[in-house]
Order: sequence, then structure tokens, then C-alpha cells
Amino acid sequence: MRMIKRRDFLKLGAASAAVIMIETQFGPLAKAAESLIEGGRSVNRTSGLPRSFLPSTCMQCPAGCGNIGYIEESRLVKIGGNTMHLSNKGTLCARGQAGINAIYDPDRLLTPLKRKGQRGSNNWEPISWEQAYDEVGTAMAAVKSRPGDFVYLTEDVDEESVGRRFTYAYGSPNTIGSSGIYDANKQVATKLTWGTAGDVPDVLHSKYILVFGANPLESNPQFVGMARRMIDGMQQNQAKLVVFDVRLTNTSTRANEAYYVNPGTYALVALAMANVIMQEGLHARGFIEQWTNVSPAQLAQSLAQYTPERAEAETGVSALVIRRIATEFASTSPATTITDSVLSSLGSGVQNERAAMLLNIITGNIDNKGGLCLPKQYALAEPAPVPAVPDPNLSLLTSQDVPQASTHQPTEKALQTIKERRQKVSVLFTHGVNPAYSNPDTASVEDVLLDETLIPYHVAVTPFMTETAALADIILPETTYLEDWNIEVRPSPELVPYVSLRQPVVPPLEGSVSFFDITRQLAARIGGGMEQYFAFKTVNEYLKARIADIPGLAKAGGLDYLLQHGVWYDPKTRPNYGSFGAGGFQTPSGKIEVSLPGLPVPELPSYEPVAAFRDMKEGEAVLTIFDTALQTDAKTGNCMWLDEILHDNPVWINKATAAKLGIKAGDTIKLTRSAKSGEAKERSVTSTAFLTEGIHPQVIAMANGTGHTVDAKFAHVAEGEKMKVDEITTNFLKDPNVELIWWKEKGGIGINAKQIVPVAPDPVGGGQIWGDVVVTVAKV
Amino acid sequence: MAKARAGLYGLVSRVFSDKPTAVLLKGLKDNEMIESLATMDVVFDEDFIAGDEEAQAEELAVAYARLFLAGGPHIAPYESVYIRGWSEDKPQLWGETTVAVAKFYEKVGLELKSGQVPDHLGLELEAMAVLAECEAARHASGDAAGAGLLEKLQSRFCQEHLIQWVPKICEEIEQQTESSFYRSMAALTAGLVQVHCGGEDIIIET
Repeated sequence: MRMIKRRDFLKLGAASAAVIMIETQFGPLAKAAESLIEGGRSVNRTSGLPRSFLPSTCMQCPAGCGNIGYIEESRLVKIGGNTMHLSNKGTLCARGQAGINAIYDPDRLLTPLKRKGQRGSNNWEPISWEQAYDEVGTAMAAVKSRPGDFVYLTEDVDEESVGRRFTYAYGSPNTIGSSGIYDANKQVATKLTWGTAGDVPDVLHSKYILVFGANPLESNPQFVGMARRMIDGMQQNQAKLVVFDVRLTNTSTRANEAYYVNPGTYALVALAMANVIMQEGLHARGFIEQWTNVSPAQLAQSLAQYTPERAEAETGVSALVIRRIATEFASTSPATTITDSVLSSLGSGVQNERAAMLLNIITGNIDNKGGLCLPKQYALAEPAPVPAVPDPNLSLLTSQDVPQASTHQPTEKALQTIKERRQKVSVLFTHGVNPAYSNPDTASVEDVLLDETLIPYHVAVTPFMTETAALADIILPETTYLEDWNIEVRPSPELVPYVSLRQPVVPPLEGSVSFFDITRQLAARIGGGMEQYFAFKTVNEYLKARIADIPGLAKAGGLDYLLQHGVWYDPKTRPNYGSFGAGGFQTPSGKIEVSLPGLPVPELPSYEPVAAFRDMKEGEAVLTIFDTALQTDAKTGNCMWLDEILHDNPVWINKATAAKLGIKAGDTIKLTRSAKSGEAKERSVTSTAFLTEGIHPQVIAMANGTGHTVDAKFAHVAEGEKMKVDEITTNFLKDPNVELIWWKEKGGIGINAKQIVPVAPDPVGGGQIWGDVVVTVAKV
Repeated sequence: MAKARAGLYGLVSRVFSDKPTAVLLKGLKDNEMIESLATMDVVFDEDFIAGDEEAQAEELAVAYARLFLAGGPHIAPYESVYIRGWSEDKPQLWGETTVAVAKFYEKVGLELKSGQVPDHLGLELEAMAVLAECEAARHASGDAAGAGLLEKLQSRFCQEHLIQWVPKICEEIEQQTESSFYRSMAALTAGLVQVHCGGEDIIIET
């Protein structure tokens, strides 16, 4: 027992008071306690306090569903779906509901951090926001004479319009989104073909749905909106679902027919079907003649080489099946295909997407009820004064890097380009992206980010520590998506355009600042006229200007309506099927450009085998990295609920293949990809084997979204001894979060398979080709 | 007594609210301070006492970040991470405990800034400092009843909140950090809370 003398305590207390007296900034709590004698304010002590709620927009994946935050006693206690929202109609997936883990993550960054010591040494000094603004502002003002050296990496350039505005106002054209590692090839293929980027399969009304490599019931850019409508449509119309994939998926298990195809051969299946449809005369002759830039005869001739028999030999799908499904597809109306970035990020990327789209085109299933439809989405205004588009000659990525036809910057190549020193960088902003985790060949990304001669100043804007932020010079902790404002628009799965508002469901946690406010503060400090573009009194003023041009919204109440309902669409609007009939397609010819001359690929949709797959030896397999409904690349790493469900990504391997290689379930296996030219050595990852018949024998598969090394407590486990894991978990006094990681003993936290994929942009779309990786599989 | 409590809570609150400044460190190395701390069994390393405060403030900023912000297996210094409500399956910020703390502040008239998380270690300690200071002011003005109420509020808050988790997190801080400064301050804080809440350690002599 310790005894303390009263007089000692008094003396210590007095001395302590003297110490803090000289600290002027002390005292964040207002000293209002003098009013307490009257009993303080009345507090409702009953447990039945009403829950208030606020509609907002989910950002846990690209779908942008309508969500509702339920608030009890100023605390967000639950997130649900907004039934009024046209995308998700009240359903919210696990990711959306787990957003509560993101906002209340015990590891959230709530203080700006400045690097101490070497970059990447992970030593930080907390600094005030004022100091952070001053330091970044001064650094950016000092190099403003070379505005093109400022590079802003973000997830989506259009969504992050504030970031684009900031970059343009500074004078740099280098605002680079992440589409290059996601769906750039699909976007470019559709844009070139029918003039509008993207597509929306109208699955609610389809009677026949043909899926190539996609998994819409588990992962899709419109995830819940697509899955709901697909299930509803299959019920209502008895639609037939046929899936071609290299592995068993949530979608193929619900299909009427599902086929494994040899890796990289989806396009050949599609082209062989198109060939059958043309030969059998099942094509929509009138539609092709009126609305495409090719004649049926020309098409039939070019497709003739893709016989079902050739397809059978190369794809593994029997010629009989190809003939039958082609006939069914062409004679069932309406019908549609579903593809996503999987198809266009392997082999000849853009060409694959064109091949699948061709099936819709030759059967006339284009922008019709139940067919493949043009995306319908509102355009948002850029509030005045609009910063001029900077000189394109200042672009980091030049015509050497960006394919002529592409509207997308190859994200995966941006950092490589910096490495090649073709353009200097003065300041790099990473905002809402985590290239050191999400990009291919993460080791080379790390090399670039660590090199201070290449990137002298790296500012990371993020609510959480990430693999990328750990390599920054200064970290600005922004608000999470649940505490921030934005106007969100997406292609509507209902084909009726809508506007969705993202508003804070609770006030931002102290210490975090919205990106909008960060840019305002920085613009004021950088000056030189830049501040005029950020002279909005409030964020609402900016948002009002963004939605000013949307017809009908102002009459409905404008921003006030959105604040109350979270989403607005014109209730009188119906899907405008066949919208191309009025003015044609948005292509140079006004028609669907089935023939695309001038590209570094054949003019007409074609199939090219993946060279790397041709001479595969025993022990080699094609690596597929698949998305799940639980983790997204860069957004969900700190969501405890999701980590509990999906924390590991064992290697799917076919039982027969495993037997040949002497691999048993649970064995540790190593996947090695040989060195490409310019690489010093091979790349490999190690994981455990998951034996299944649900995968093609030549393919191995791993889930995306696990294996973080820097992010949150869950990742600390991966750091092994360095982080004193055993001490943490054996001592009950240690962080209670870590105690709960029961999966540590059962396989760990997975591994990021993207690190062994080489950087490989598609020559037409500029998007990363993820699917062409052959690895050697070996038991360790 | 109330004045002393206010001073001590104020000091530890300051220490766990932000990185230290050179001025603060200089103040702590005052002879009288060092003597007084020793009465609570809190002793600084010789190196710490001899060191240059400016340089130490810089080092301690990193240590502070490693402990509470980023760069290591950092500790989230929030009560709700340590004390889980019945509906919570995982520790989190803004848990049920946080609401209880917020309600207490509201009841006693302590106002939070928008977004401020009420159960941060530094803030809970500061709340005690403010209440103790008000108590001292009541004593000075001869309002014994008011002072008594304020004292009761402090012990209630200490019993319901501080004693439930502060000794735990302080022990964790002592184990995690290599900094003599934070080890000492954690020991001081744990001691203060235990003394105040009348746990094992009792102020005997008058």
C-alpha cells in the first residue's frame, strides 16, 4: 500500500498547476461548470430516446448507394439503406453497413502528422492544422512557377471534382484517377463503340442473360442495384442465366448453365456465337444496316474464322453448347450480356469487350427494354469561376503513355513514368487512393514513393494510415465519407437519372477536416489568384452550384430537398429506351462503330490468344485475382466486421492440379512470376492451398482486398515480431481490438496478390491487364 | 486540496492531450516538481533531467505519435475502446461509454466542441481538472454546499469512468513506450486516479 501525505499531494498539485499555467493553449473544454448549482441542463434519462436519422450516400464501393445514418445521442449507431434511392432501393450490403467501423475506427488519424527521420521510417510528429496548411501551402507556393510538376492522384477524377478544381486552379493538368487499374478498358471500348462510356444491362426486363467473366451477384460497379434487379428479373421473366467463367462464382451457382472456359478465351466464345448467329440468319439485319458502320455481309465474313469447332478446341466449351446458346440468345428477346472489368483486363482488353458487345449489337439488343442500355446519368456543373484547363503540354503522361483512343490516364503507369524521370514532380498529392497497395507491382510503387529525388514532397490525404500514406512526408487526416459533403451521380440501374447527396450523418470527429476545407485553406495560402476559385462561403454554396443545371431539381426544392431525402429523381421520367433514335449515337458517324480503323488492333472485333498461355508447362497456372462483396481495394481495410468475414485469401487450386503437384489442402504454396525485362528478379507470394473443384485446372485464384501491411490493427498482426504481437495478444491489458483477432491462428490476414502482377497497360484502353499472369505453383 | 487536484489533473490532461512543448518539459524539471513527483513514486531518468528540452520536445513528439497516433502498435486513448457497451461486439470510438461521458459533461455544464470525442484520455482528465478548479473557487467564496456537490461529481466521474480504464491504459503505456517521460506520466496518472478514487492507495496523513 502506498501512502501519500496530504501536504505532499498539495505541493505536487500546486507545482503541476504552475507548469500548466504557462501553457497557453491548454483548455479545450469550456469552463462552464459554474452553472451547475442550478442542476445543469436537463437530460432525458429514459432509454427511449428518439433516434434521428439522416440520408446520405455510401462510398464503400463505386456503386454510390443511398444510405441512412441512424443517430442516437449524437452517436451513429447503425447504417441502413435508403428505400427512396434508385440504385439500391433500401438494400445496403455488408460493406455499407460496416461503414460504422470506418468512422469509429480506434486507429483513425485525427491529427496532422509530419514525417520525422527517413521517409518510410514510420516516425511521425503530430502538428497542428495551421502548421500543416502553412507547410503544404508554402511548399506549393514555392514551386508554382512550374505548375505541371504538381501531381494529384485520386480515385475518380469526376467524383473528386474538388481535387480536380484544386489541381487546375494551381495550373496543373495532372489530376490522375484510378480507372486505369479498374475499368478503363471497358470504358474506352464502350465509348469508342457507341459514343458513351459504360453500359447498363437492363436485367430487370431481360429474358436471357449471358455473362462473360463477370460476377454481378457479388461484385459489380452497381453492385446492389444490379444484383437486385437481376434476381427480380430472373423471377419475373423466368430469364435464363448462362455464365462463362474460369471459376465457380456466386453468380454461376445461381445460373441455369455455367461453363468453365480456358483462361483468356472469353472473346473467342463470344465471337463464335456471333458467327453462329450471322450464319444462321438470326441477326437483326435491319438494325445492323441502319445503326452500325458495317454491313451484315462484312461482319459475317470477318466472323467466319471463329467456327464453333475452333472455339471448342481453344476454349474448352463444346461446339454444340456454343451453337445452342447462340441460337437461344438470338431468338430470345430481349437479351443482354453482362461483362465487367475482368473481361477487358486480360488478353487484348478492349478487343474482348468489343467481342461481347457485338452479340448485343447483331441481335439489336441495344438501348432497348431488357437489352444492353446506354448509361443515363446527370452531368454536374462546375461552379464559377471555372479554372481554365491547364496546358496539356504539362501533362505527366504524354502521348507515349496514353493510347490515342483512350480517354483514361493509365494510373498504373503514372508512377512508373515518374521513375523514368521524363517529368519532374515537385509535389505529389495522394487522396483516397492507395497505390502502394492497389497498383500492380507494388514494390516498384514503393521504390518511387520512397525516392525523395523523384518525389520531393508527398502529401497524403486520408482518414487512416495506409501503405501509401506511410510513405508520405505529411499526412492530412480528412473526414471519412460519412462526415463529408458531395454530390454523387452514377449511371442509374433503373435508367432514370438521379442525384444523390452525401452529407455528414454526424459532425466530423475533431481533428479531421473535409477535403473541401483543406483545399480552401491551401488555396488561400498558395495565393497567386488561386484562392478566387475557392471563395465559397460554405460548402452548400458550392454544392448548390454543382446541381444548378439539373432540370426540375430546383423546382422540387434543390439542395434542401436533397438534405431531407438524400436523393432526387424526376418522378415523371421513364427510362428513355432507344434514345439514340433521335440524334444517333455520340460517335463520329452517329452509328455504332463496330469497325474501328486506326487502332493498334484489328478494325473489327477479333480474338487474339494470350501468348503467355500458349506454352504453359506443368506446374504453371494463370493467376486470377477476384473481387468479393466484402472488401474493396483501398477503402475497407479498417472495417472490423468485414475483416472478420474476409481476412484471408488462400489460393484456389483445382483438386486434380493439386494432386499432380503433390499439394494437399492447407499446404503452404508459393506462386512465382518470372522476371520481365527490366526487372532484377522474379516476384512471388506465399499462401495456403484451398483445394476445390470449382476452378479451371489451369487457373489459380485469390481474393482481392486482404493482406494489408500498414493499415489498422488488423494489419499489425502481419508485422510479426516487429509489432510485438505475442505480447499484445497474451496480455489482456493490451489493445482490446487485437485480442479479438481470432483468425490470427487460422491463416492470418492474407496476402496482396497484386504485388506480383507486372505493370501492363492495354495498348488501346490504357487500363491495366491484370489477367495475363502465369505463375509457377510449388509446395513450400 | 481541490486546488491541488485541479493542478495535477490539469498537468496529466495536458500531457495526454498533445505532444509536449519545451516549456512544459522545463517546468516539469523544476526542482520542486521533481521532489513532489518523488512523493508519488514518480521518478524521471537522469538523462531526461539533464537533456535539452527543445530536442526532447521533438523526440517526445514522435514518441507521442507512436503511442497514440501512428507509427507503431499505437494505443487508442479512448474509454470506449477499453470499456464496451452491452450492444458492442468490438471496441470502437463513440461507443455507449462515450455517450455516458458526454451525458455527464452535459449534466455538469461542460461544453464540447463540435466533433470532439468526449472520452479521450486527455479530455476526461481535463474534465476532472475543471471540476476541481470550480470546487476550489466555491471553497474560496465560502459556498460549502456548492463545493461539496462538485466534489461528489468528481468522485462519481472517477468511480464510473476513470478508475474503470485509466489504470489499464496507463499500464499499457508504460509497457509500450521506451520514453521515460511517458512512463513516468502514466505512472503518475494511474497513481492519481487510484488515490482519488480511494482504491488501494489512500491518503493517510493530514
